Amino acid sequence: MSELLEVKNLSTHFTTRDGIVKAVDDVSFSLEPGKTLAVVGESGSGKSVTALSIMRLVAEPAGRIVNGQVLFKGDDVLKMNEAQVRELRGDRIAMIFQDPMTSLNPVFRVGRQIGESLILHKGMTRKEAFERAIELLDMVGIPHSRERAKDYPHQFSGGMRQRAMIAMALACDPDILIADEPTTALDVTIQAQILELMIEMQERTGAAIIMITHDLGVVADMADDVMVMYAGRQVEYGRSDDVFHRPLHPYAWGLLDSLPRHDVDEKGVLVPITGQPPSLINVPSGCAFHPRCPYAREVCRADVPALTDIMDGHLSACHFSADSGFHRSVARPAGEVA
Amino acid sequence: MTAPASVGAKSRTLWGDAWRRLRHNKLAIIGLAWIVFVVLMTASAELWVPSTFGDPLAIDTAPGASLQSPSFEHPFGTDKLGRDVFSRVVYGARISLTVGVIAVSISLLIGVLLGAISGYYGGFTDTLVMRSADVFFAFPYILFAIALIAVLGPSYRNVFIAIGILGWPSIARVFRSSILSVKENEYVDAARAMGASDLRIMFRHIMPNAVAPIIVYGTMSIGGAIITEAALSFLGMGVQPPTPSWGLMLSDAKSLMFRAPWLTIWPGFAILTTVLSFVLMGDGLRDALDVKMKD
Amino acid sequence: MLKYVFRRVLQMVPVFFGVTLLLFVLRAPGILPGDPVRMITGERAISDALREQIVKKHALDKPLHTQYAIYVSNLLRGDLGESYQRNRPVLDIFAEKFPNTLRLALAAILIEIIIGVSAGIISAVRQYSFSDVFVTLSTSILVSVPVFWLGMLLQILFGIKLKEWTGGAIFLPISQMSSAQFPDWVHIILPAITLASVSTAYVARIMRSQMLEAMGQDYIRTAMAKGLTRNAVTFRHALKNALIPVVTFVGIDFGVMMSGAILTETVFSWPGVGREIFLAVGQRDWPVVMGGVIIIVLLVMIINLLVDLSYAWLDPRIRYGGGAE
Repeated sequence: MSELLEVKNLSTHFTTRDGIVKAVDDVSFSLEPGKTLAVVGESGSGKSVTALSIMRLVAEPAGRIVNGQVLFKGDDVLKMNEAQVRELRGDRIAMIFQDPMTSLNPVFRVGRQIGESLILHKGMTRKEAFERAIELLDMVGIPHSRERAKDYPHQFSGGMRQRAMIAMALACDPDILIADEPTTALDVTIQAQILELMIEMQERTGAAIIMITHDLGVVADMADDVMVMYAGRQVEYGRSDDVFHRPLHPYAWGLLDSLPRHDVDEKGVLVPITGQPPSLINVPSGCAFHPRCPYAREVCRADVPALTDIMDGHLSACHFSADSGFHRSVARPAGEVA
Repeated sequence: MTAPASVGAKSRTLWGDAWRRLRHNKLAIIGLAWIVFVVLMTASAELWVPSTFGDPLAIDTAPGASLQSPSFEHPFGTDKLGRDVFSRVVYGARISLTVGVIAVSISLLIGVLLGAISGYYGGFTDTLVMRSADVFFAFPYILFAIALIAVLGPSYRNVFIAIGILGWPSIARVFRSSILSVKENEYVDAARAMGASDLRIMFRHIMPNAVAPIIVYGTMSIGGAIITEAALSFLGMGVQPPTPSWGLMLSDAKSLMFRAPWLTIWPGFAILTTVLSFVLMGDGLRDALDVKMKD
Repeated sequence: MLKYVFRRVLQMVPVFFGVTLLLFVLRAPGILPGDPVRMITGERAISDALREQIVKKHALDKPLHTQYAIYVSNLLRGDLGESYQRNRPVLDIFAEKFPNTLRLALAAILIEIIIGVSAGIISAVRQYSFSDVFVTLSTSILVSVPVFWLGMLLQILFGIKLKEWTGGAIFLPISQMSSAQFPDWVHIILPAITLASVSTAYVARIMRSQMLEAMGQDYIRTAMAKGLTRNAVTFRHALKNALIPVVTFVGIDFGVMMSGAILTETVFSWPGVGREIFLAVGQRDWPVVMGGVIIIVLLVMIINLLVDLSYAWLDPRIRYGGGAE
């Protein structure tokens, strides 16, 4: 079983006037063909930067990937030269972004923007690319695709634009599709449609998906694996079922408790996580979550917890995860401390 | 508008912040310094210029006195009538600065008033004022100035009337848009809910915020006014001889361009440095006050 | 799009009337100090009989609104009055000189576009480099330079000094429109550069800020994610967006040039519309002055309208207005 993508110890830092921001701090994960990995966390947790780092789209010179390996089919993307990376982008690894209105160029027709990567990577002519773009628009469920391809982005509705973005990303039939908060900017009703579309596309094309989101509801339906990030670090990583029903890290508990869930019968209490997300320049010492964790102890402030395999591929970065009795089931708002 | 800053604490007020930022802008400080220098030089001119270099109005008909190239006695040379160019340049600063400040003041007066009324009351008043501004904008600047002077008659006084009149639409527009954007803010609604009167709202809440772009624009306008005055005098429609205006001096220099290049170089250079100083100060003010203006 | 065109043309109408009204007010009797007859004949003394004649002919004794109506209808028929000093219709005088000004303005626009746009792009792409700082600083300086002074300096430099320093080998002819030694177009270089100078600075500035803004947009990130090269992203995606406001500026600037030409033409003795107005001012030949002003103003208005329309055509958001279904 070859991993499609293997990220090892990825660290990305930004140099700002006020100090160094460790946007991504020692993150590792892998992705198999056709699977979906959800990357979950609050804004500023480093999830987007992780994705951008994979494609080497981090804004230089302020941003730098300082460490790690990104192995795509065995080759380290971080060691490639610029031309090789450009070949990967749009062709083997594609990305869609949060706001489709600003992510599409307002002065080019939609069909042309979709066809651009086809011309670039597949050597098609303008006409061929345009025809293929129409087919792709059909595939993502946009009616009157031939007329629509000639339209400009502002003539599309929000949901349609995101569909177009998906069509654009899938144009070259990539191995990996990275979706950075694809539904956040859309109406609730449209959100479900777009997610449906993505699942359908995945079945159709066999692409692996990295889904970046802060919305756990999205995760539940789609993800095979889940990675939870906090303050640039991984705090939990495992199969979706494990992380959802047997979460190990207090932050994950907090996330699950603070969001309304429709799959729980009992009427649980909504418990928001206290405090503010941490500054990435002055990350709290030890475990980054300790100032907000109801179970924090002295060791949490002193030592950075390592990401350890607690149970058969279910990893957590908490000093107490391995302790028996330190667990929580879905319905209860507070855990027990050993 | 001035906030009490506790002694020793770093000022966090709008104006305190702005001043701090401005201080660090080297170019703006250079501009300011130059202006101050010029003002001092020209204000005190009577004290030291005539005795050292000669009366700017004194015509010297002695043979050989006219069109002397620059020398120790006459650092900028003499003109056709034997007058010392240096002293004329120094005295000329008075004209330019006076016109700049007065003309812009007139524009500010009219512009701020109309802009305020237009922005605050909206509706028909707004349309009326803005349409009038459009009419003014349809005129290319220099031409309008020429036309006005043609009607009013060329003279020193009419120059700043003309420039002043030409300047109001831009200022009104800028002021109006900052009023509009401030009006949207909730704290105006809050003030109104507390029963504040229109006038009070306008002065205490809207004005301080709307003032910043005006300060920037006004500063840069002074530079523009100086150039316009020079242009008008150059064309013979401004200050009349023998008053030493830089523009007028350039006009005289035109026919003697090749025989006496110093007549061209120095008055023009004076215009350049003075206007540049105002532009740099305006730029610095804009950065310091963090005003977002469309270029 | 058609609706937009119609709306804009319609908007121009009140402005047209406003403009003519303003100009009318300037020369009409009783509103501003000054003798209206003087505005027509100039500064010479005239006999009472002639005065009577003029009053009758120009309807100066009729009520103001009638005069205005006559004024506008004359305008629309192309009658701008007569120069008494030269005994020629004003329109004819300008029709003769107009092509010269047009040539000059076009040459200046060409310079403005080529240098301004390239400088702007370069300084945006290489932000904070030497070229960027150079462009930013020189634009500030150029904006402060009196255009007519620049013209004089250039003449001194290229006309005389260069000749001196190179012993007569290299120099640019000035003032004369034609001379045996040099091809025609050489004469336009210095005046065109002078006229273009300030505008070029503005264009560079605007181009730079527009490019910077465009390059910071999200769609640039999307383009990069598709694997495009840096150049393709800059020159295909960013440039097209950045260029639209610049085109608008250049278009409007054309109108500004037509009017700013007055100073440049005077300095270089270039026989165009601007210089004509200047000479007329010197002779106090007011009909010519006002006539020239009107011509240029109306021309500028039309150009501005065309520029507005072209902007609407270039920006697909306006051209294909209407949101999504």
